[in-house]
Amino acid sequence: MLIRTPPSWELPESAATPESVYLNRRALLKSLGCGAAALALAPHVLRATTAGFPTRVNPDYRDPALTPTSYEHITSYINFYEFGTDKASPKTNANKGWKTEPWTVEITGLINNPLKIDANDLVAKMGGAEQRVYRLRCVEAWSMVVPWDGFPLAKLIKLADPKPEAKFVTFSTFNPVGAPGYAGPALDWPYLEGLRLDEAMHDLSFIATGIYGKPIPNQNGAPLRLVVPWKYGFKYGKSIVKIDFVAKQPVNTWQAMQAREYGFYANVNPNVDHPRWTQASERVIGAGGAFGLRQKTLMFNGYEAQVAGLYKGMDLRRNY
Amino acid sequence: MPLLAKLLRSKITIWVLLVLPAIWALKPLFAPEPSDADPLKSTLLHLGLIACIVLVTVLTFTPLRVLWPKWGVAQALNRHRRLVGVGAFAYALLHFTAHLLHVYDGGFVTFWKEIQKPFQLIGLGALLILFVLTITSLHAAIRWMGGKAWKNLHRLAYVAAALAAWHQADARKIFPLQVVWIFGPLAVLEIARIWKQRVTASPPRGTTPAQTS
Ligand code: HEM
Ligand code: HEM
Repeated sequence: MLIRTPPSWELPESAATPESVYLNRRALLKSLGCGAAALALAPHVLRATTAGFPTRVNPDYRDPALTPTSYEHITSYINFYEFGTDKASPKTNANKGWKTEPWTVEITGLINNPLKIDANDLVAKMGGAEQRVYRLRCVEAWSMVVPWDGFPLAKLIKLADPKPEAKFVTFSTFNPVGAPGYAGPALDWPYLEGLRLDEAMHDLSFIATGIYGKPIPNQNGAPLRLVVPWKYGFKYGKSIVKIDFVAKQPVNTWQAMQAREYGFYANVNPNVDHPRWTQASERVIGAGGAFGLRQKTLMFNGYEAQVAGLYKGMDLRRNY
Repeated sequence: MPLLAKLLRSKITIWVLLVLPAIWALKPLFAPEPSDADPLKSTLLHLGLIACIVLVTVLTFTPLRVLWPKWGVAQALNRHRRLVGVGAFAYALLHFTAHLLHVYDGGFVTFWKEIQKPFQLIGLGALLILFVLTITSLHAAIRWMGGKAWKNLHRLAYVAAALAAWHQADARKIFPLQVVWIFGPLAVLEIARIWKQRVTASPPRGTTPAQTS
């Protein structure tokens, strides 16, 4: 039995919003069964972290102006190269018997409290899960709005208790070679991502264990997945097996592949183009159908007020 | 005459073969998979892929005829060079149109910024060549230019293919292997054709011009 103490900001009785509620809010007059039917039709995927559900909406991170993208699109339009390099493959390939529960994550490096812990136990230790609605901006110039469930990364870092020498945190994805559904070599596995420690400690940095109040599907990076909403999606390391506190700035996987195109910071920045396309605007997934218009990309993906201070005095053109 | 060659001699067959892939390419726009979050992008990528395949296909016709002059299929295909070449241009133009829609932001700011990226300039180069070949392929244009100039101009089709291969390879973050299986066979055929033409054109070994004259 899991006992959690809800932090003060939580509304005690408000369960996390499932997709049906969002849908019905958007189209009250649409047939009532519509949302429920969508949920019933959702594929039965292997479940990852099951602890912490149902989650509770954190009202501080529920901007009413954001319309969440459909569960179907969030869980099928995916870059997860371990399971294929096109958008549709991960949904199929990550559900061919690859097991994400039980799952052990190792927290290690320059910290006072190294540990290896089961993902569900970790969620319990973090006080359960909450729901936050964040924008997601992919480096490929498309965007979604995702209701993530999970816990603030800062809580995990406090548990780890970093030593003063620790300046960066790395997140390693599992090594996919030999996993059911593995699609073959594409990148240098295991996928590695990193943050500066102060970025990782930021309020917005989050470890997701769910989407729309349900355990995060395998293809979205079950059971633990980094979420840093002011950065491009490739920073969101999936299916984390190791969190390592280090002294030196790490080289993340995409930077190692193509340093000219993908940097360490990867902050969403409409003024710094990708060598092959502009980052000034983005296609909003699911909005307006096939011919939906673009919207302007916001500095730091709309989180400028919260995070700009982290980069004071830095040349963001060079540190892309 | 074998059935295949007979079929391929018919313009109708070629038209059908050229139009069928468009159904696949445009399907996402009219009947998207529920999971396809960006159907227009799917259409854009499909059209680019078909443009490359059709372009490579038309370029194999001449080497096939040179290598196997008596093969009915090669002869049949060479009747349709113009139609298939224009088909390649049509798909490239549709691909470009899909791109225009995809970057449409109420105006053309995004389009203008992106067209300056090297990989898109390369695509634009290929598209312009196909365009020039298509308009000069009208009989009037051929007569007006004269056969020799027209033939030289036509060689630009190979440049277009090289640019298209480069563009396709550069469009992805990780080198897409399909570039090899689309353009590889053409390269092999071209090398074989050049080699055969050399062998046929050069005098037999051991003979010098003095001896033969
Ligand atoms: C002005 C001309 C062109 C523009 C602006 C253009 C633009 C693009 C864009 C934006 C992409 C998608 C890249 C991505 O995935 O983000 C692409 C891919 C592609 N284009 Fe073009 N293109 C042009 C001409 C051509 C031509 C002439 C051909 C072939 C004859 C071609 C074949 C392809 C292929 C094969 C792909 C890759 C499809 C894939 O990765 O599945 N393009 N192009
Ligand atoms: C639309 C009008 C077109 C006509 C009437 C036409 C006609 C021809 C003819 C008669 C030849 C034979 C030349 C020879 O063997 O001496 C030829 C060759 C060729 N055509 Fe076209 N063509 C057209 C368009 C295109 C297009 C749009 C492409 C490519 C995109 C293309 C690619 C080629 C190639 C690669 C050759 C072989 C050139 C060589 O062997 O040096 N054609 N064409």
